[in-house]
Amino acid sequence: MTHSRPAVATRVAYWTLQLAGWGLYFWAQASGEVIFADVPWSKSAALWGGFCAGGFGLTHLLSRTIKHRRWFSLPPRALIIRMLIAIALLASTLDLITVVLSLVIYQSPVAAIIGAFYRKLPLSGQLINQFVNSFVVTLIWVGLYLGLVAQRHRYEEQLQKAELAQLLHAAELRLLKAQLNPHFLFNALNGVRALIPEEPSRAQDAVTQLSRTLRYTLASSEDELVSLARELEMVNDYLSLEGLRLGNRLTIVRDIASEATQARVPVMLIQTLIENAIKHGIAEIKQGGTLRIEAQVLGAELIVRITNPRPTNAAVADSQGTGLKNSAERLRLLFGNRASLRLDLSREGQATAEVHLPA
Amino acid sequence: MKALIVDDEPLARRELRRLLTAHPSIQIVGEAGDIDEAQERIQSLSPGLVFLDIQMPGGTGFELLAQLAWVPRIIFTTAYDRYAVKAFDVNALDYLLKPIEPERLAAALAKLHAMPPASRRETQEDSPLEQLFVRDGPRCWFIPLREVSVFSAEGNYVRLQWGRERPLLGRSLAALESKLDPQRFFRANRQQIINLEAISNIDLGLGGQLHAQLNDGSEIRISRRQARQFRQRTTV
Repeated sequence: MTHSRPAVATRVAYWTLQLAGWGLYFWAQASGEVIFADVPWSKSAALWGGFCAGGFGLTHLLSRTIKHRRWFSLPPRALIIRMLIAIALLASTLDLITVVLSLVIYQSPVAAIIGAFYRKLPLSGQLINQFVNSFVVTLIWVGLYLGLVAQRHRYEEQLQKAELAQLLHAAELRLLKAQLNPHFLFNALNGVRALIPEEPSRAQDAVTQLSRTLRYTLASSEDELVSLARELEMVNDYLSLEGLRLGNRLTIVRDIASEATQARVPVMLIQTLIENAIKHGIAEIKQGGTLRIEAQVLGAELIVRITNPRPTNAAVADSQGTGLKNSAERLRLLFGNRASLRLDLSREGQATAEVHLPA
Repeated sequence: MKALIVDDEPLARRELRRLLTAHPSIQIVGEAGDIDEAQERIQSLSPGLVFLDIQMPGGTGFELLAQLAWVPRIIFTTAYDRYAVKAFDVNALDYLLKPIEPERLAAALAKLHAMPPASRRETQEDSPLEQLFVRDGPRCWFIPLREVSVFSAEGNYVRLQWGRERPLLGRSLAALESKLDPQRFFRANRQQIINLEAISNIDLGLGGQLHAQLNDGSEIRISRRQARQFRQRTTV
């Protein structure tokens, strides 16, 4: 098993505190008993050695239990109840150890140092103070232990937060790159460069279309809705640029019902489907083909259908799969089950993407 | 030098043509828009240099190279393909990113002119193969065949033993054998062809077999049938 650095540091801190704490307590009690009760070292060392050994073992047992039973993932109430029971049990057991050892060593239920300190109290009062002593020792141990664990949790939380932020940044960057579609971008720029000397006005149009496409992509956010008409403007710019690249390999047929144009669609959704149709369909076929874009309103539903030829022997590319999955997930988040996205590959050599949205 | 432009985009071909007007030493003899066309043009025009796009419909530039019987000098061109570019960088293959910068093109051509010209013999159909393009996973190489010590059949493929590399070639051993220089390569057994120049020592084996120790430390068995031929070939 491997341990992270903070975990090792906490373990070292735990054992240091455990040994030093019980060691110091032993020294204070045993030497105090020799001085104030005037008893031999051997007796006081035996009594408080037994007490501290018992305390050491029992508190360690408690720390193992807390860890293995995952007390810190319990709700606060459950944790407090368990802690109180543990404190009561620990304190009572430590008190019992003191009583038994005192009976054996001093033939009295009260330790010599307690007897010396509270000699003006009756035996019952001395017994109560002896219990208070065990109780206080237990409380101090639990307090220190909780503090140490809380500190470690806070540290780990911060670490996790930093890691999470980093992951989020990486994901955002990946998304941005995918949205910018670098393969398309550089090919379009290359096309523009070719057009400049011979067909400068077409080159100018291409630059305008390219900047509009980029602006639309950069300005869009995940949850934004736009009219279908607006989205199709972007699609048209994009298709003009792809037309530069693909030449006469790309034919476009549009069948957009006028009542569909004002329907709201998630920004970049149709665009993503069109990109897929080009990238995995028409661009992969030597003689190219016809891209068909249809939109209609049926009842309370907007239906957008994109049909394109695809290479016959090709499997669905991974990137196409994830792109579709992301789009479907986005629809689910925005509209629940009132929207759907389906890619139909049942016909050889053809792909149809169909989106249903609340109109 | 005769050059062929292979790219599926007419505008990209036009742009490269225009850029190459600044380099009169390069004579563009043709264009191709997909790998089948390219293969046919390379055979009929035997250009010394090919500008090769990676992403094309019907097959990538890499697939074209793997199909070619002989490979001219290649300068890859790509708009954006980080996997391919990584492979180029790792293997020091020449590539240009589109839109192509005139300076980068000039540098690539200067490097080309500094290299010894492709031998005339290479450009003939029936002459033996001198180098192979091999792509195995993310890595790719132009491998000079005289540096390969052993070709071993692995199913329908061939595993090359080339220095410390063991790339897999997408052809059968029989198909490859017909293209190899018979003066240099010898069929040691049903599974393997060895490079005669890579042999450092020959030991006698059981039943008339031979064991060839190669420079790279490997040992290849020469079957009884082939051993007779081997003796005839080598004891002049």
